[in-house]
Amino acid sequence: MTSAKAANRLQLTVALGLLLFLQFYVRPRLFDGRYAPDFVMIGLVLLALRSGPGMGAVAGFLVGLASDALSPARFGAAALANTMVGYLAAQTRAFFFADNVLVNAGFLFGAVWLRDLIVLVASGSGDQGLATSLLIDAPLQALTTALAGTVLLVLFGGWFRIRLDQQ
Amino acid sequence: MARVTERWESRRDTWLFAGCMLLSALALLMPASWGMTVASGLRTTALAPFVWLQERAAEGRTSRTRFRAVASERDSLAELSRTLSGLVDENAQLRSLLDLTVRTGPGFIPAEVLHQTLPTDGRTLLLDAGRAEGVSALDPVVTPEGLIGAIREVDQHTSIAMTWAHPEFRVSAVSANGQVAGIVGPTSTGDASRTGLEFRAITYRDTLPDGAVIIASGLGGVYPRGVPVGTVVGVEREQMGWERVYRIRPAAQPSVAGHVLILHGATPLRIPAAFAVKRDTTDSAAAVAPPAAPVVPEAGTAPPMTPADSAARARRRRLRADSVAAAAAAIAPSTPTSPAAPADTSGAAR
Repeated sequence: MTSAKAANRLQLTVALGLLLFLQFYVRPRLFDGRYAPDFVMIGLVLLALRSGPGMGAVAGFLVGLASDALSPARFGAAALANTMVGYLAAQTRAFFFADNVLVNAGFLFGAVWLRDLIVLVASGSGDQGLATSLLIDAPLQALTTALAGTVLLVLFGGWFRIRLDQQ
Repeated sequence: MARVTERWESRRDTWLFAGCMLLSALALLMPASWGMTVASGLRTTALAPFVWLQERAAEGRTSRTRFRAVASERDSLAELSRTLSGLVDENAQLRSLLDLTVRTGPGFIPAEVLHQTLPTDGRTLLLDAGRAEGVSALDPVVTPEGLIGAIREVDQHTSIAMTWAHPEFRVSAVSANGQVAGIVGPTSTGDASRTGLEFRAITYRDTLPDGAVIIASGLGGVYPRGVPVGTVVGVEREQMGWERVYRIRPAAQPSVAGHVLILHGATPLRIPAAFAVKRDTTDSAAAVAPPAAPVVPEAGTAPPMTPADSAARARRRRLRADSVAAAAAAIAPSTPTSPAAPADTSGAAR
């Protein structure tokens, strides 16, 4: 049983590593522009759904801190946004079948949109720009992220199926 | 027992969430310079492997998909440069005739843009060139289309550029014909990907037609003169009948820029240095020992110079040097005296 747990955790670690590789190597090579899927957000949501709200918040904070360091328009905005997204993703799994691929896609879509909303508000975008970004840019990026997440779940779904908080 | 554990876990989750929110809020509220320091520290330590990976990816994409575009641009430039050598010679001759020193232009450092997924990505850009490559703070960043912004933070191998979409961006600009000058900044309402530019501080009597090209004026010492900033697309607003604000379509788009040039060595504008006159031994001698008596000319040379002529010449030189020094002081009041300035000061004394 212990070895099965260790294997599961190893699978999850490899899956998260794969997402980081996709984010920092594959995405810049294949996609140009800001509608590219956000693989780190996929990892954050899937991790939050399979761990707990506390772990989701901590993971979100760390991911946000990294985003702030790489794109420091307003330091702390992404940390705040991703903390909320991680916590809320873990909280809302109680209301949905989190193992369903389409539900996961919906989570991803909502997570990217909510993250963009919080980042833009926290970093002080004007009203007109906020509306444009939230109605055009954010949904498009959320859509590509949800599609990429669905493909990854179909391919590597078993690797994300463990429940970290119940082991 | 299970309920107790569940309650403890729930409380732990709440505390973790509250702690992360508190830390995020602190990060958001702390001074920008502290945030930049923390971000720089993270980029050079924990995130260094990821930045390195993204640099390799950006290089790979450039070499793979942009080779043809770069090759065709190089061919066009080669064709253009055939005619350029004649112009360079002609310019050198003209400067020589006017006794002006050689004007050196800035060098450049090529860099790839490492785009991130945040919606604020267009305001600041992560570039894969840093201190080791010779980048320093306030170096202008341009693309072949026009101005992108300036370097804000420099790490060892990466740097952060503040683009024109950043709320703090400003550039002194002038219309291409040099007749209308003002300040260009981002529109007050807009986000990173949709922000436009405004050409402000234009007096009411000055008008610009749609399509007029706006370039950097070179004043302020950060952006070199002549870099395209954008094109006028209309009047944004008129303030109280004394100022017109024009809407500018930016020449370059930071959110889609993949490859940029960091202009290095674009030193702050120093008018005395730009117009420094070559040293003349005759003038120096005159400065050391002003003629007290009429100069006796040698046979076959210029007519004799009277004391009145010498005084008038000295007065003209003084006036010219004073004007240049005053203009330099007006443009860069806080800039320390340039190495060229003492030469002009001595010129003023002549």
